[in-house]
Amino acid sequence: MDLQALFKTAPIAPEVISQSLWMIIALPLLGAFVCGVFGRMLGRANVHLVACAAVAGSFVLSVMAFWATSATDASNAPLAIIQNTFGGAQSRYVLWNDLGTWFSAGDFRVNFGLLVDHLSGTLLLVITGVGFLIHLYSTSYMEHDDGYWRYFAYLNLFVAMMLTLVMGDNLVLLFVGWEGVGMASYLLIGFWYTDAAKAWAGRKAFITNRIGDFAFLIGSFLIVLMVGAFVKQANDADLQPVGSSIPRYTAGLEQRGPLTFHGLETMARSLPDANGVVKLDTPISSGPLEGRTYGGMLTVALLLFLLGAAGKSAQLPLYVWLPDAMAGPTPVSALIHAATMVTAGVYLFSRMSFLVVMSPTAMATIAIVGAATSLLAALIAFAQDDIKKVLAYSTVSQLGIMFMGVGMGIFWAAVFHLVTHAFFKACLFLGAGSVMHGNGDETDIKKLGGLRKEMPWTWITFLIATLAITGIFPLSGFFSKDAIFHGVHHNHLHGLEWVSGVLYPVGLLIAVCTAFYMTRLYLLTFEGRRSAEARVAHAHESAWQMTLPLVVLAVLSVVSAVYAFPLLRNSPQALMENFLSPVFQASSRIAGAAGTVELDTSRPTLANYGVAWIVVVIGGSLAAFLYLSFFPARAGQPAPGWARAVRQVALNKFYVDELYDFVIIRPVKFISFVFYRVVDALIIDTVVVRGTAWVTARVGSALRYVQTGDAQAYAAVMALALLGGVIYAILKVF
Amino acid sequence: MVPISYYLFLAAALFCLGMFGVLVRRNALVVFMCVELMLNAANLTFLAFARMRGDTIGHVSAFFVIAVAAAEASIGLAIVIAVFRSRGSVNIEDIKTMKH
Repeated sequence: MDLQALFKTAPIAPEVISQSLWMIIALPLLGAFVCGVFGRMLGRANVHLVACAAVAGSFVLSVMAFWATSATDASNAPLAIIQNTFGGAQSRYVLWNDLGTWFSAGDFRVNFGLLVDHLSGTLLLVITGVGFLIHLYSTSYMEHDDGYWRYFAYLNLFVAMMLTLVMGDNLVLLFVGWEGVGMASYLLIGFWYTDAAKAWAGRKAFITNRIGDFAFLIGSFLIVLMVGAFVKQANDADLQPVGSSIPRYTAGLEQRGPLTFHGLETMARSLPDANGVVKLDTPISSGPLEGRTYGGMLTVALLLFLLGAAGKSAQLPLYVWLPDAMAGPTPVSALIHAATMVTAGVYLFSRMSFLVVMSPTAMATIAIVGAATSLLAALIAFAQDDIKKVLAYSTVSQLGIMFMGVGMGIFWAAVFHLVTHAFFKACLFLGAGSVMHGNGDETDIKKLGGLRKEMPWTWITFLIATLAITGIFPLSGFFSKDAIFHGVHHNHLHGLEWVSGVLYPVGLLIAVCTAFYMTRLYLLTFEGRRSAEARVAHAHESAWQMTLPLVVLAVLSVVSAVYAFPLLRNSPQALMENFLSPVFQASSRIAGAAGTVELDTSRPTLANYGVAWIVVVIGGSLAAFLYLSFFPARAGQPAPGWARAVRQVALNKFYVDELYDFVIIRPVKFISFVFYRVVDALIIDTVVVRGTAWVTARVGSALRYVQTGDAQAYAAVMALALLGGVIYAILKVF
Repeated sequence: MVPISYYLFLAAALFCLGMFGVLVRRNALVVFMCVELMLNAANLTFLAFARMRGDTIGHVSAFFVIAVAAAEASIGLAIVIAVFRSRGSVNIEDIKTMKH
């Protein structure tokens, strides 16, 4: 049996494994429960066992599920086919399991449906695979921490939530995971809560994320309204090109709710059709969105999703939380940055690629936001001296590159970069953790240096990961980054052609910056002489639990490059592009029909690769020249004034945090202070709460004097009342 | 035939006498008797109207009033006796335990 046949013969049939999809989420959740509730009694070794086993089990199940999506029968037709409830084309290479209604209100309905296709399958493997390595690493890294059981419970919870995010077959379930990872990251970033600064960092991450989540929710509501309007307004002609009909589509909505990705895809595919009644520029005829066009509302919804994704994936303007999130334990940073949370935004847009390609405005905004974030973060990373901070800004920058890819419609490359980035960034972070572990928790790279001989495993893996993220041929980062830049260069947004013209040079500039700051980080940490200010004279290499994940990740960041090669017979596509095509074919078809985007499927030529490579080498050699010969030669001489000023600005992160503080936080604080004093303290506390009590007490003490206990006084009152009644009756009569 | 207004005037006079007694007398027993007087005034109007209308509803009402009056008198007297035993007085001005 050759290799290809092996990949296509799943050991467990799709219909069998799809029944067990829920266990992929349930296992880490159970692990979190056991570690969190019984962890203290179980002891260190058992907690490690439970936490790692939960993720490992989930990984095995993910592999099985992933394998099953690619299973074929004898005639090479895919086995994992599900009937699209909404009519139209069947979905191939998809496992789907609907666990029934989760909740419904009126005609709004949400099902608890789990979906594994090639996109979410890839992410499942990354999350559970890299997640497991990080768990293993943590067993050694958190060895001396008292809160180890709490830590592992949070870590498992994080993984479970991210798996929910990835596997949900509708936006609401995705949002559950979306919120869940936000909460888990809050818990983990503020893990050492006795330190006020670290607790604050957790809070900052949480609140920044909440802002984005709010936008996400509004976007979801807009989509619900749009689907409702579409159902009322469309007729069968609209859905014909999809192969469905309005009764069929409405039946699907009743069965599975308006926010299922399948339903949205069916709607998206029918919108750009030329023969239908409802097109992108058709005004909505009724409901709250009356008079606005479908295309316009779609753009608004997508921009709201962009704000949500900016919060979760640390893009402008909400990126500020991610560097502060370094306050948490280092493996957590690796988990947040590489395998889970921050990739959620890229995943969201890839999952909804069929909607994204219909709005060039939204695409341009996504791409520009990504590019701006990426460049800004790369510039900030120039001057940071904290090893973890450099890596944090590098994550922001790399995510910006992925957003550029998503925004310019080259989804497969964005996902590919997501995967390769998960490998090398996890490797870098875990390497940084290993460096800290061996050097008495020193994070200032100026006070390290010369670790090359003392920590050989950390050194070699860190070097490989650095080369990968820099984009040195032939490591994976080179191909994934270049695939994105190639797509940015060759895809065109109609009406906004200038965007790709502008963004391509910016992309090359980002590549130079990446090469520069990563080379600087590597050189200062590992090369040269050991700094005189180092905390410990000789660093020690970490335990096998820490070096093994490093080695695995380093190997993965090299070999994952294979996905960029066009290895398939009769197909010029890259392996990853071909592999993800069942997911993204809808979006390319829609882009073709709507004419909003011109997607280019050409592959980078050798010349393109050459340009990318030269650009990267320039950045790297510049850093090498500066930090190996220029600065050491000028040691002791003061730097020129302008250089110090620039460095100061970059060191202070371009004062963005201060700007936010001035523009947003202080006004909000002032308004809250006014509200607190006037509304809360004065009106509510004094007038309403104490006021009513005061009135009641006064009235009571006045009426007390009436209650004499004298029966004759009461009788007199009754007699007077009677007299009044009689007088009234007499007056009525006469 | 005596006109009904005569009966009503008599009943009103009795009622006012009774009420006057309830309001001014200090002896609890006398107060009770005055209450009986008011009830009888009410009975008198019931019977007068029953006679005028020629049906029995007024009679029935009067019986109810008499029954209630009997019950009230027995309980009231029991209370008065109990109060007298504990305080040695039936003066209602002395019985003001509810006073602040």
